[in-house]
Amino acid sequence: MSATFYERGYDHHVEIIHQRDAEARRRLESLEVTLYDAAGVLLATPKVDPAQEILNLGALVADTTNTSERVMVVLDARYDEAIFPYRPHHYAYLHRAGSSAPPLYYAINAVLGGVPDRVGATNINNFETYVFRQGPFAQRHSVLLGCLARFVPAQVQVFTYYGSRRIARDVTLAPKCHVEVPLAAEHEGERLARVEVKSLFRLLSYVVGRREDTGDLVLFDHLFTYVK
Amino acid sequence: MARHLRSFARRLFGVTRPPTYYLPWITRPGLECTLVLSNVEARFKPEYSAGPFPVSIVQYDAVGRAAHRYAVTLKDSTDTIEVPLHPAVGGCGFVTINGSRLHSDLYVTLSDGHDYTATHGRGEFVEGYPGLVRLLMTAACAVASTVGRTLPVFTRNQYVYLGHDSRSHVLLMNLSNVTNWIRASASAGDRRLGSLLLRLPPMGAYLLDVASLGSEPASGTTVWRLRLEGNAWFNLYIVGAGSRGLAGPLSLMHVK
Repeated sequence: MSATFYERGYDHHVEIIHQRDAEARRRLESLEVTLYDAAGVLLATPKVDPAQEILNLGALVADTTNTSERVMVVLDARYDEAIFPYRPHHYAYLHRAGSSAPPLYYAINAVLGGVPDRVGATNINNFETYVFRQGPFAQRHSVLLGCLARFVPAQVQVFTYYGSRRIARDVTLAPKCHVEVPLAAEHEGERLARVEVKSLFRLLSYVVGRREDTGDLVLFDHLFTYVK
Repeated sequence: MARHLRSFARRLFGVTRPPTYYLPWITRPGLECTLVLSNVEARFKPEYSAGPFPVSIVQYDAVGRAAHRYAVTLKDSTDTIEVPLHPAVGGCGFVTINGSRLHSDLYVTLSDGHDYTATHGRGEFVEGYPGLVRLLMTAACAVASTVGRTLPVFTRNQYVYLGHDSRSHVLLMNLSNVTNWIRASASAGDRRLGSLLLRLPPMGAYLLDVASLGSEPASGTTVWRLRLEGNAWFNLYIVGAGSRGLAGPLSLMHVK
């Protein structure tokens, strides 16, 4: 599955097929979309035409929910397995209407849902990091985390590094819950240098940067996954 | 099938593909471009984690010249170094990074001094064509260009977005030592929009303003399909521009 977050006020378009696929493959066999609030409550399972190429998340969320909070959007997309056995790797475009910030384009997380001991992952894909610039920029950072597990809560450790200091924070996410974990810009005079996210299995995770004054997104990206 | 043919042709003509890590760059007045280098993954390799890790950087400008070179050293696997890039011809291009045992993502940031956007680079390759093949390719492309075409050896498809106050431009990078004629054509639904034939010098780059391929929408956000065909290896990054277009704050983003 793939998943992302939608925040009200953003023009947010998801490419539901893989843009590099050969033309014959550019039709999904099925696409199921589910929307969850931060407490893991199922908000909607809107019907989506799998023949379209671009999904307008703003319209979808506005048409099917009445929430103004952040929504976790889960995409379960499949091609006809006889034609193409893999799932599409979605990309997306987002920009806050009226913002002077540039739009962002990003790769949507591929996430393991279901039952953790059956997911069959062979690489370390649950240990991620991201480095930050040291200048005094007027932006604040955070990580957005979501749990797609069906039955068990996920234990997550978020480590932030300031010079030689490491600050640990534990987060527990119940199934389908999501949270934004703010990262302090400074600690004891040292700037935020790096964040690490560790969990028992692959979670939905994005590193986020927002303008301090308006909150407009200037960073929305995956973290770096250790794969070796 | 096409992939196998290309692979066979590469062997036949002696085309080399040395592994290369590269990042795009853009500079504009008031927009600073800075690399963020680290090798945090090295700490998982005890035999290599101690450092130091020397890193050399070559900054190619839009016409493919090695405009600037930088040399830095990461002290250890927790060290991070920021390398501000100098302006160079064309205001865009790419840098290649060479550092033994460098395994982590490296980042490029764009900042107007207020905040910054960031993306990571790609570990791929640059194609090297022998002299005779370069001559033959140049001649063939010169003929094809007279009718607005190129030799479509490599093809990329990319969605681009045009909104009232935002859009996604495309930074094209010629990752080869031969002149790359890249044909960019846009379509929306069943409707063909415009096309352009671009000539990128070896190791050169071009910032494609997507609005040059068709009429801009009056309102809302329009999505176009962009098809890119080139005679040699190339890649692209999305360049996000806000209400001030390419004169304002920008973002860079890798594609698949």
